[in-house]
Amino acid sequence: MSNDRGKIKRHGLSVILTHWLVALSTFVLIFSGFGQMPLYGRYMVDRIPGLSWASDFSVTLLIHYWAAAVLIGAVVFHLVYHGIRRDFDILPRRGDLRDSVRIIMATFGFGEEPENDKYLAEQRLAYVFIAFSLLLVIMTGILKVLKNLPSINYSEGFALWITFLHNVGTVLVIIGIAVHLGAFIFKANWPLLPGIFTGSIDREYAKERHGIWYRRICDDKDP
Amino acid sequence: MSDFSRREFLKRSVASGVAGGLVLTGMNRRAEASAVTEVGTVIDLTLCDGCASLPLPACVSECRDKNKARFPEPIEDIGNYWPQKKKEDWSKKRGLTDRLTPYNWTFVQKVQVEHDGRDHTLYLQRRCMHCDNPPCADLCPFSVLHKMPEGPVIIDHDLCFGGAKCRAVCPWGIPARQAGVGLYLKIVPTLAGGGVMYKCDLCYDRVKAGKIPACVEACPRNAIAFGKKEEMRALARERVKKIGGYLYGEHENGGTSTFYVSPVPFEKIHAALLKEKANQAKPGLPGFPGMSVGVENMTESANGIAWTMAIAPVAGIAAAVGAAYKTMKGGGGDVE
Repeated sequence: MSNDRGKIKRHGLSVILTHWLVALSTFVLIFSGFGQMPLYGRYMVDRIPGLSWASDFSVTLLIHYWAAAVLIGAVVFHLVYHGIRRDFDILPRRGDLRDSVRIIMATFGFGEEPENDKYLAEQRLAYVFIAFSLLLVIMTGILKVLKNLPSINYSEGFALWITFLHNVGTVLVIIGIAVHLGAFIFKANWPLLPGIFTGSIDREYAKERHGIWYRRICDDKDP
Repeated sequence: MSDFSRREFLKRSVASGVAGGLVLTGMNRRAEASAVTEVGTVIDLTLCDGCASLPLPACVSECRDKNKARFPEPIEDIGNYWPQKKKEDWSKKRGLTDRLTPYNWTFVQKVQVEHDGRDHTLYLQRRCMHCDNPPCADLCPFSVLHKMPEGPVIIDHDLCFGGAKCRAVCPWGIPARQAGVGLYLKIVPTLAGGGVMYKCDLCYDRVKAGKIPACVEACPRNAIAFGKKEEMRALARERVKKIGGYLYGEHENGGTSTFYVSPVPFEKIHAALLKEKANQAKPGLPGFPGMSVGVENMTESANGIAWTMAIAPVAGIAAAVGAAYKTMKGGGGDVE
């Protein structure tokens, strides 16, 4: 349950690895995807030393494919792993929208924050938003990969929609990442940061802010 | 795994694996069968004389006449492609007929090639090859280029943003860009977009109506044949066999709908074209394609690793089952 007396384990190695594989592959996909737009020649990104390859579509397309394979593998791992383990702490619950508003208000000094489980209500909602966006880009991306094969052709309308939704999904992912990272502007969330690097967070913080979760794992350990 | 049986674990593994796999691959069912390339052309270089007696080759003048209503009419004050200090504006050069422009969708190249001790003067009608798996259509970031079931590759001028990626991924650099026209003007024209791309659509409207393309109809020497693609392929092969010549377009870029028949190797034609381009006043200008033999389709290398998308979910499932089993064995999976 804990690495030392002052820490408490929040994430296992699988979760940490999955998170960083998804994060890394998503950043690579966004960069290589913008390279496909095409932006890097027009805005002279390819003139930055070391980035001359950025406007070479054959290079960025290959990078996009490899990163997509990593993302798909990591997402399937995430779904199956937590499906088997029945780890559903991060899925939204009734009242999460209301509680999210309360948490945000409390951040600005208005009212009390509700007692939290392992994840804050706003984290559970953010998870669904990012998960939906990633699944949208993955599914439309798979269809785009199929379209590029010599034996497959789509109707005009279908190709347009798939590409449009892939681009919309990308924008949603970027918004999701911005909100996810933006949460750490607030000092109240800083103690959560070590959790995604080391797997552990401060015990007192967990007790105070994630009381429901803290009591549950304490009860599990000491029946 | 004290209160957790092996049977239950397997049940969950299968259920989660199937669910994950379905989520990520279920939409593949929408993939349709390949569009059938039904029509094609043969351009016989032994027959074309560039319409020496006419001021302009008939195929070129007919194409210009037929498509003039679709030529771009840009705004007066066209801005540069920020942050670059340039733009592609051909509107003041509408009369150009010696290269591909937004106002000239086909043209005739003249090359002189020595082969087997003989000098050959050849005339090559150039335009979109209407590829079997066109990278321009596959890789357009907005999917505004389409390979139609009848074979022609067309551009939706109303939705094109003019990024010119289609030209960059085309082995012949065929599509031509005109700035100051199109959708981008309605968004942020200073910062994004470049105009609209134009190229031959093999007279798609005529093809759909059961007619032949205007250039084919106009050719006074029947140097361009039009018909069912496989018949055109057979015709081209037969003609090549008969004259002991060479075929271009059958395998280039993964296969095209345009078959050139030549009495001289295309390697020599390509070299002559490159030499001519290098001697032009502005050799860097687009619209003067070469004829690189065996040129590869830009999507080939990416398609070669498309299998990773199929392997990735399998690897993800296998790793997840293994990891879940390991963490749950002995009841050690309380915190994840």
